[in-house]
Amino acid sequence: MSVAHVDRQLPGETRAASSWYEASARERVRLLLDAGSFQEFIGPEARETSPHLRVFDLPEQFDDGIIVGCGKLDGSPVFVAAQEGRFMGGAFGEVHGAKLTGLLRAARDVKSAPVLLLLDTGGVRLQEANAGELAIAEIMRAVIEARSAGVKVIGLIGGRSGCYGGGGLIAGCCSALVVSEQGRIAVSGPEVIETNRGVEEFDSRDRALVWRTMGGKSRWLIGGADAFADDTVGDFRKAALKLLSSTADFGLDTLKAEQSRLEERLQSFGECPDALDIWRTEGVSDPRSIPALPADQFIALGDKIRRTSRDAR
Amino acid sequence: MTTWQKARTARDARIDAGAKVAKGKIVETGDVTRLLEAVIRPGDRVCLEGDNQKQADLLSAALLAVDISKVNNLHMVQSGVVLPEHLDLFDRGVAKKLDYAYSGPQSARIATMLFGGKIELGAIHTYLELFARYFIDLTPHVALIAAVSADRDGNLYTGPNTEDTPTVVEATSFKDGIVIAQVNEIVDKLPRVDIPGDRVHFVVKSDKPFFVEPLFTRDPAAITEGQILTAMMAIKGIYAPYGVRRLNHGIGFSTAAIELLLPTFGEKLGLRGKIASQFALNPHPALIPAIESGWVEQIHSFGSEVGMDDYIRARSDVYFTGPDGSLRSNRAFCQVAGLYACDMFIGSTLQIDLKGNSSTITTSRIAGFGGAPNMGSDPRGRRHPSEPWLQAGREADPDSTPALRRGRKLVVQIGETFGEKNVPLFVEKLDAIALAEKLKLDLAPVMIYGDDITHIITEEGIANLLLCRDAREREQAIRGVAGYTDVGRGRDKQFVQSLRERGVIRRPEDLGIDPLDADRSLLAARSIKDLVRWSGGLYAPPSKFRNW
Repeated sequence: MSVAHVDRQLPGETRAASSWYEASARERVRLLLDAGSFQEFIGPEARETSPHLRVFDLPEQFDDGIIVGCGKLDGSPVFVAAQEGRFMGGAFGEVHGAKLTGLLRAARDVKSAPVLLLLDTGGVRLQEANAGELAIAEIMRAVIEARSAGVKVIGLIGGRSGCYGGGGLIAGCCSALVVSEQGRIAVSGPEVIETNRGVEEFDSRDRALVWRTMGGKSRWLIGGADAFADDTVGDFRKAALKLLSSTADFGLDTLKAEQSRLEERLQSFGECPDALDIWRTEGVSDPRSIPALPADQFIALGDKIRRTSRDAR
Repeated sequence: MTTWQKARTARDARIDAGAKVAKGKIVETGDVTRLLEAVIRPGDRVCLEGDNQKQADLLSAALLAVDISKVNNLHMVQSGVVLPEHLDLFDRGVAKKLDYAYSGPQSARIATMLFGGKIELGAIHTYLELFARYFIDLTPHVALIAAVSADRDGNLYTGPNTEDTPTVVEATSFKDGIVIAQVNEIVDKLPRVDIPGDRVHFVVKSDKPFFVEPLFTRDPAAITEGQILTAMMAIKGIYAPYGVRRLNHGIGFSTAAIELLLPTFGEKLGLRGKIASQFALNPHPALIPAIESGWVEQIHSFGSEVGMDDYIRARSDVYFTGPDGSLRSNRAFCQVAGLYACDMFIGSTLQIDLKGNSSTITTSRIAGFGGAPNMGSDPRGRRHPSEPWLQAGREADPDSTPALRRGRKLVVQIGETFGEKNVPLFVEKLDAIALAEKLKLDLAPVMIYGDDITHIITEEGIANLLLCRDAREREQAIRGVAGYTDVGRGRDKQFVQSLRERGVIRRPEDLGIDPLDADRSLLAARSIKDLVRWSGGLYAPPSKFRNW
């Protein structure tokens, strides 16, 4: 049986059984989009590798750790970008960033197709320093320009490297975010906080603390993400489709509403020393039970207590 | 007149001195250092219970604080040098000489101190050797031990981490030594008695529970496809053909991968009930799926593992448990079991040389031996037959009289040709030799000697050293699975090919394994949370292993 044949036959079961967390960036794209619909731009055969890594004698990848292209989602055209979290922690470098910027600008010009960003990143690639930082700024601008042109940009977060540093900033610029339990969203990572503020402030080795602070469940409960997915490609696909149909257009009103929601969140939770206190404030009677709840029960609970007025990143 | 009870008289004097700071056997936390000053004499042999896992941390801090005009030049005889305080004792002059077995977290500092002459080294032992010497020439005068709870008579409940305690107490108490226990709590009635009170002279209640390190938890999320491939080769190329049922696993990711492949890959090969049913092994969380799938009949453990207590309690058909239901471990007995009653040891190492000697030592770190050499050696005193043992003996020595032929224990090293940070597994010369030269040791610290190793598994293939007839065959068999390391590239290609034709080397394809099938989806659990699910919520992983 040829690979193409498998693709056309791709059953819902494969999507449902495939862990987003476990999958590579390529598998995520292949399984997320309609079978066989993906077309890659500047693929590995183009060998657009990083000009910086070889200076440090570090291994390169032919796609520089990001896949960009277009395809179909439930029959409709979409642009898609997926970071490979297992290559240098999904970090942004010059080529990696330029590929994403180019994709977003294309979406801005085409106007009719939304963008799916499969973020899986620790932030900027330190070896590429300024080039990486510039890339983040360019990408943020390109996201906003695309949104201004009426293009929805949906972030999907549930990979090994989470969504940190500049990735966290880009996530904050998106129209909407889908996150799973495994996904983490923040700007400063646990080790960075511990290094700068001390272990008393944040113990990066206390992984339960890391997850209840930055993890998908907490982010969704307080409105830091718009949809919660179980850790399967099928669930991410369903959530993305739903957000594409429900997310509001972009404009000054949206931004003002978001600003006031952020202010309100700070007021409500600013004094809480721990996520457990935030969840209690939000009306969860037994906050300690949240981390262990299976996805369906957690979503049912969240749907009851989540307030859409809190939806602001 | 000759006196025959000098030691007993001395012991009674020590107890009398100690009793002045105690109420019965109970000593207040604040008085512990005074107690130690009262009962310990300069130059005493002291066992400060540092095990592989649990640590008498209150007593080590108290010993560090003694007045060194009263207590000095001690000879420490303890299996684990794990806490910083264990070495601070030598910096302060409280202790002078050291005999030990394992020093995981302190391996770099102990090397520096040995090199700087801060520590006078007796020897580095395996657990069993050190335990044996407790009864011959290293009997402690004073043992400082750790338990979960005590009653007022000094009876002790050690909890699941019994580990070394019974051995240490046996040697000390029955040879006129003093036993001092730190406990988390003093209670009226113990769940069970692990150490009878008449062997314990003083008891101190600690403010916080003794320190235990979760050493045996391997997160399935970190298992690589390379490790899965070597695990598949191990199951199909060694476990199955020898029919290995009684065994010990190392603690690395490669053996964790094997544990997680039993219910999937192993099941598909129809091996349940035929392999991997009895273990000398700590309660590895990675073994939960195999246990739940009915693979494992019985496990005896050296120690316990943090978070596994409720699971063990609920699976008493598999584990050794006391009348209270909790695990009873025992390092000495389990080491003996691993040495004599297991047909195979399989584990990873850091360096293997051309003779098959292996070592986990690097020039700047001395981690000690722990128990691996006991597990990973052919016991010359073994007399009972078993199929894997006889088969291995046959392969090693096909021409001798069967009734007079020794069997062989299978001792397997498993690893990828390039380990962490792309460091080659195979070397011409072990770093252990350079270290021995630097420290002027009589013996290079070799973990497993080449003549004990029977198989080496890498992603390139399995080398069966039992089938090698001379040193050249052995060297080429090792080079033949050493991949693109310098050792591997130095192979004689034609010779290696002839070894492959004889089945001395077997490649994945010779075993009917396609490397492309080595996929993480084969793992019965791919995360710690999967292990929790397999356990029905009974396994409670410590926070550092959670990602939820």
